[in-house]
Amino acid sequence: MKLATFTHDNRECIGVVDEAGRIVDLHRAYALYLREVEGTSQSEELAAVLLGRDMCDFLKRGAKSLEATREALEFIKAKPAAGQARIVLSRDQIRLKSPVPRPGALISAGKNFSDHVAEMSSRKGPVYPVAFLKLPGTVIGPDDDIPYPPETQKLDYEVELAVIIGKSCVNVTKEQALDYVAGYAAFNDISARDVIRKENEVGIHLMGKSFPGFAPMGPYLVTADEISDPQNLKLWLRVNGELRQDSNLSYMIFKVRDMIAYWSQMGLNPGDVLTTGTPRGVAAGRKDGQTPWWLKPGDVVEAEVEQVGRLCNRIVSE
Amino acid sequence: MVEADNIELRETTSMKIYLGLLDNSPPDQTRVFGEIDGKLIDLSLGHAAFLTETAEQENAYEFAAFYFPPTIVAFLERGEKSVKALEQVLSLVGQRGAENFRGPRGEKVVYNPNEIRILPPLEHPEKSIVIGFADRARVEAMPKTEIPTGFYKLPQTFVTSGAPIVWPKFSDEVDADACLAIVIGKAGRKIAPEQAWQHVAGATLVIDITARDVNRREGVTTNNLLGKNFPSSTSLGPAVLLAKSRKELESLEAALFLDGIMQKRFALCDAVFSVEQIIARWSILGIKPGDWLAIGASMALEGDRLQNPVPLKLGSAIRCYSQAIGELSHQVVSSEGMRR
Repeated sequence: MKLATFTHDNRECIGVVDEAGRIVDLHRAYALYLREVEGTSQSEELAAVLLGRDMCDFLKRGAKSLEATREALEFIKAKPAAGQARIVLSRDQIRLKSPVPRPGALISAGKNFSDHVAEMSSRKGPVYPVAFLKLPGTVIGPDDDIPYPPETQKLDYEVELAVIIGKSCVNVTKEQALDYVAGYAAFNDISARDVIRKENEVGIHLMGKSFPGFAPMGPYLVTADEISDPQNLKLWLRVNGELRQDSNLSYMIFKVRDMIAYWSQMGLNPGDVLTTGTPRGVAAGRKDGQTPWWLKPGDVVEAEVEQVGRLCNRIVSE
Repeated sequence: MVEADNIELRETTSMKIYLGLLDNSPPDQTRVFGEIDGKLIDLSLGHAAFLTETAEQENAYEFAAFYFPPTIVAFLERGEKSVKALEQVLSLVGQRGAENFRGPRGEKVVYNPNEIRILPPLEHPEKSIVIGFADRARVEAMPKTEIPTGFYKLPQTFVTSGAPIVWPKFSDEVDADACLAIVIGKAGRKIAPEQAWQHVAGATLVIDITARDVNRREGVTTNNLLGKNFPSSTSLGPAVLLAKSRKELESLEAALFLDGIMQKRFALCDAVFSVEQIIARWSILGIKPGDWLAIGASMALEGDRLQNPVPLKLGSAIRCYSQAIGELSHQVVSSEGMRR
């Protein structure tokens, strides 16, 4: 299934995508199911308890909320069009947010593709998984604009796979690691390279990866059962239609299961997000004499992961 | 400048507020408490009593619940009116005496501290940042640097006084740093240094626990992730001090005790970065009520060098104390000895 977080009538809602690509408002669909099929009188309140308030809350409920989602989807599919009004919504009636708009932790891998390690002039690949925290408040939706911060002249992109944790885990083994994945989304790790460089002169970088809107994610949370092998997916990125990054997750140095096993040492919770690092082709990897690839206001960045989906974000002046 | 140094943050006196749960409350029914004479006052019910008595307000409970919502973050979002209401409640309790103070219908309002389960005062800040450097040796050789870089402490690592600090399985070397955290009261972005204090609500204490061996290994590229963010690696609280003046905040002191012996002591004004510098820097990203920006003893000078954090052992008793804010007290336990 594809799960979504979206706004409709100024409310933040969670939903599931139907076969026609429309969005089913989960709370409304399940409340109707409870009322009509199970005869529940306080159906809206009960739907809220069973499904949770938002995506993190939904994921905490595990298999039960997924089962409810399937029931709601089957039920609403069988309804005539009139019965679906205000429940089944077309894409132009809603605005997608990131499927997980407020991750607990947003852990982004660095130096995780050997071709990217080489283009960034690092001496060698890492011995332990390398990652950094982005502030979770930087997450935006698949169609949202990315504000260009006036503090940078070197704005960069990185297409990645986002792995959304579905179950709490501490010290899991690599073998078990994928059991804790709720699903996947496409991710674009935006960086202000010059801000990062300055931070690293005296300390650690945080700001350069965490300006508002520096973490587009989506368009949906594609549940783990739909992705047979997360290490065999193509991913690519285009700026204004021009292909900049083009690779495959099979080239990751630390695989998704390695990353989960390692970072589970700090304890991972439903709604935490790990992103897998990016392949070569970023603007920072351009050599002297080559046309610079830094992002500018007006640029449109499309980041896509095969079977998972595509982000399309425009850079806008602040 | 002398005038600016004494800038009044508010007209009220300094007050301490806590986030807590009554013993029989479910975890989502947090309440905000004020402190007076060592007693904790349920502020929502206390304010309802105040409104009933002074204004014969019909819907006193609703008004009180508006000014004293269930979290300190929401309370700070309400702004100065809520702070004014807080002062009214505490002054009424002061006049009346805590013993006999009750809600409009006789509800219990005044508690002994041991009756309340105190929680980390700020639960899910967007920015919970400790000012720090990656490579201490480099910085110690340097005069004052210009950029107060910092690292993020994940809200899921927060604990408060009394909780065990659990030694992480992946480390052989754990240390603690006492920090004073500036708590933001008013949202803003790209705040000029001279405007910084207008965005400050008060302060709280933080103990920043670090797995130093992992932190050293992570170096610059892995921005203080595993070494700084594991369960119970951030102690926060116990109260938020709503200070009266800038001067009071700048002169705040924190001391770190290990097994009863004082190891470190510093005042906010001894840190190598000022509150203005820190707020000006981090407000580039935007700051909101309930966000906190902390600076530790390790960012304060001891002679001409920066102080070092305090190494811990299994069984260590650590205590971070500030006369104005209170104390955070913990025992270091192994993950097997974790009590819960």
